[in-house]
Amino acid sequence: MKHLLTGTLLACACASTVTAQDITLGRFFGACEDAGTDTKASVGEACIIQSIINAADAEIEGVSIETLPTDWGNYYDQIKAAYAGGTPPDVHVMHRHRVPEFAGFGALAALSEDDLASAGIDPADWTDSARDAVTFNGEIYGVPMDLHANLWHVNMDLMAEAGLVENGEPVLPSSPEELLEHARQMKEATGQDYLAADFAQFPIGVRLVLSLMWQQGENIFSEDGTATIDNDAAQAAVETITQLFAEDLSDPQLNYADSQQSFLNGEAAVLVNGTWVVDFHTAEAAKEETGLDNYYAAEFPTLFEEGATWADSHIWVIPSPVKQDAETYEAALKVLAFINEHNVDWARTGHMAVRNSVLESDEYASLPHRTEYAGTADIARDTPPAENYGAIQDVLNRELQAIWLTDKPVADALADANIEVQDLLDR
Amino acid sequence: MSNAKSPLQRLNETQSAYLLLLPFLLTYGLFLIYPFFRGVWISLHDWNLLQVAFNPDAKQFVGLDNYVRVMWGRNIEWSPWARPVLQVLGLLGVVASVALNRTRRLTSLTSVALGLAGAALFLISGVHAGEEGRWFDRRFWPTVGNTVLFVGLTVPGVTISALLIAAALNRETRAMSLLRTLFFLSQVLSVTVVTLIWQIMFSPRQGLIANITELAGGSPINWLTDERFAMAAIVIATIWWSLGIAMILFLAGLQDISKDLFEAGALDNCTGVRAFWHITLPNLKRTITLVIILQIILHFQVFGQSHLMTQGGPNDETQVLVRYIYQTAFRDSELGRASAMAVFLFVIMGAFSVVQFLVGREEND
Repeated sequence: MKHLLTGTLLACACASTVTAQDITLGRFFGACEDAGTDTKASVGEACIIQSIINAADAEIEGVSIETLPTDWGNYYDQIKAAYAGGTPPDVHVMHRHRVPEFAGFGALAALSEDDLASAGIDPADWTDSARDAVTFNGEIYGVPMDLHANLWHVNMDLMAEAGLVENGEPVLPSSPEELLEHARQMKEATGQDYLAADFAQFPIGVRLVLSLMWQQGENIFSEDGTATIDNDAAQAAVETITQLFAEDLSDPQLNYADSQQSFLNGEAAVLVNGTWVVDFHTAEAAKEETGLDNYYAAEFPTLFEEGATWADSHIWVIPSPVKQDAETYEAALKVLAFINEHNVDWARTGHMAVRNSVLESDEYASLPHRTEYAGTADIARDTPPAENYGAIQDVLNRELQAIWLTDKPVADALADANIEVQDLLDR
Repeated sequence: MSNAKSPLQRLNETQSAYLLLLPFLLTYGLFLIYPFFRGVWISLHDWNLLQVAFNPDAKQFVGLDNYVRVMWGRNIEWSPWARPVLQVLGLLGVVASVALNRTRRLTSLTSVALGLAGAALFLISGVHAGEEGRWFDRRFWPTVGNTVLFVGLTVPGVTISALLIAAALNRETRAMSLLRTLFFLSQVLSVTVVTLIWQIMFSPRQGLIANITELAGGSPINWLTDERFAMAAIVIATIWWSLGIAMILFLAGLQDISKDLFEAGALDNCTGVRAFWHITLPNLKRTITLVIILQIILHFQVFGQSHLMTQGGPNDETQVLVRYIYQTAFRDSELGRASAMAVFLFVIMGAFSVVQFLVGREEND
């Protein structure tokens, strides 16, 4: 029986490779070995996206998908090298903030409304911000998959112990002074840190400072390419955070994994991180052994004048050379349509959906913790488009690290960052 | 019959030598010489990786502009006391080389090398940005400095520990051969595995080192994100990783030393540490030089440890040259600028290869 099965499988595999259109797919999100094809059961970004891809591979007739290595860290370097070598994948994921760089050089295929419609994708169903995310110079260059943003992930038991819960919701600060007050209260009542985040490696610290600058109506550079980092707003934003380090109410030396672990161990009441960990935290909170039992996903609080939190979008694109081969292009569009179709499954990660029909659905509303941060879409912000945003973010990350890890004076770091970002904008 | 030579047999010695060399020369030319000169050529252009891929005419010849932009700045000055510590060290090197040469404790070539290195240190570290001036690329020279520091810590670390281990394991028992294999094993791992192992070792939460410090009553160190320890952390991981080859070279060197020397020494009551100092070390001089120079060339190209363990942080403390080249080329798409840095790295490594060549020749004489 086993042999028969293997034989049949092999025969199927051979048959499908003969007729199927092969599509190579590039993505980050990390590896998931046994994702299966059940798009409703998988947990976490890596497994959910892979289950959708596997399902697409199984269900779209005449298309077979090969997923390329899924490493996060060097993703864009690899993709660029592939473009430069003339062998980009047929479809790949990217961030909204990279669109100016890639589309600006003609690397991405413009997708006409007709092409999208014939593949079964309806751009009219996308939210305005999602449509903006894939639009460059008036043309659509991709299919949006989500809106993701920074949240405050909260350990409700610690908050309750510190007296910071009201009507089942966490009481979050509304000013930098109140933040310090809450953090002191937390330390006194529980002995634990108030806030954890990756301030040491991954640019979560940058995104935090950006949010606090936007909340004061400022930005790190303007649309016309002038760096605006060396100002009072940036100083206030940075000091909102350094006041916690100064009193040992938060640890700047934790990296991504360690800050996450510290939150799960119940050693920090708040973790600042993106929407992508909501379902992971929900699953961890259900386990006995973690120090997190009562989890709440809160919107990023407004500490200054207006609400704002860092946000970005994952989008799927087709490289422009793929368009030269009609069959591959058509198959690639089918894959994008399949991913678009499964928007609600991807939203299970914690990301916000991009299709109005999904946002209004009961299935979406019933996802865990969803109502707790429903207002996030309204305060989502991003920097103005810049071709070398990767390098700009790196400058900010280094100078901010210099402040919290090596005690560089805030004014010096901001002045240095301003000079370097201006250099990058002028290049 | 003797007239019926095949065309191959009619070749003279030189011709057949060239024929046999041809496959090597072709490969060498195609994969080393051509890419090298193409790299130099790219370094003379403003060359965006993505843009040129889609439009080959998008590159622009800029001459030496990339070199200036990377290595120079506005109002750059030289003064004898810009970095007193380094410059005094350089001067001391010059003085020492003269003194040691006078007293004939160093060969002329070694003292010239020491003198030149001292003078270079004195001159180079005196260059700084004057008032109102600044470097065009503020990261380049600190990055070079980090790379030199990394090499400066790793090479003696590897050399001394490999030498000690080799001396201890140079016995023909089963246990020793097992230990030799164990020490060599780390060498076969890839950089990904090595950095993964050490990231776990150094983790302040689950790490072995943190557990030991906690047992001893201390608070765990955030090795990879603390500016005082990050460089040490990648140096330790590198030493552990690259011990193997150096140890094997030393073992080979040790086995070349004649037993008679040790027997003669033992008669004069020269055993143990004294024998190591007076017999082993002098006889291993050539191996030590070889190991040091090979390690210098190897570790100037450090990339993975910094890229994977610390991402060059905190605050660029562990940013190294190859990682900067990589980021400039692939993250920032500035291929011309990256190639200029790569040419600079080539010059440094080339200089050390020349030193190795000179030292090797001197000892052959």
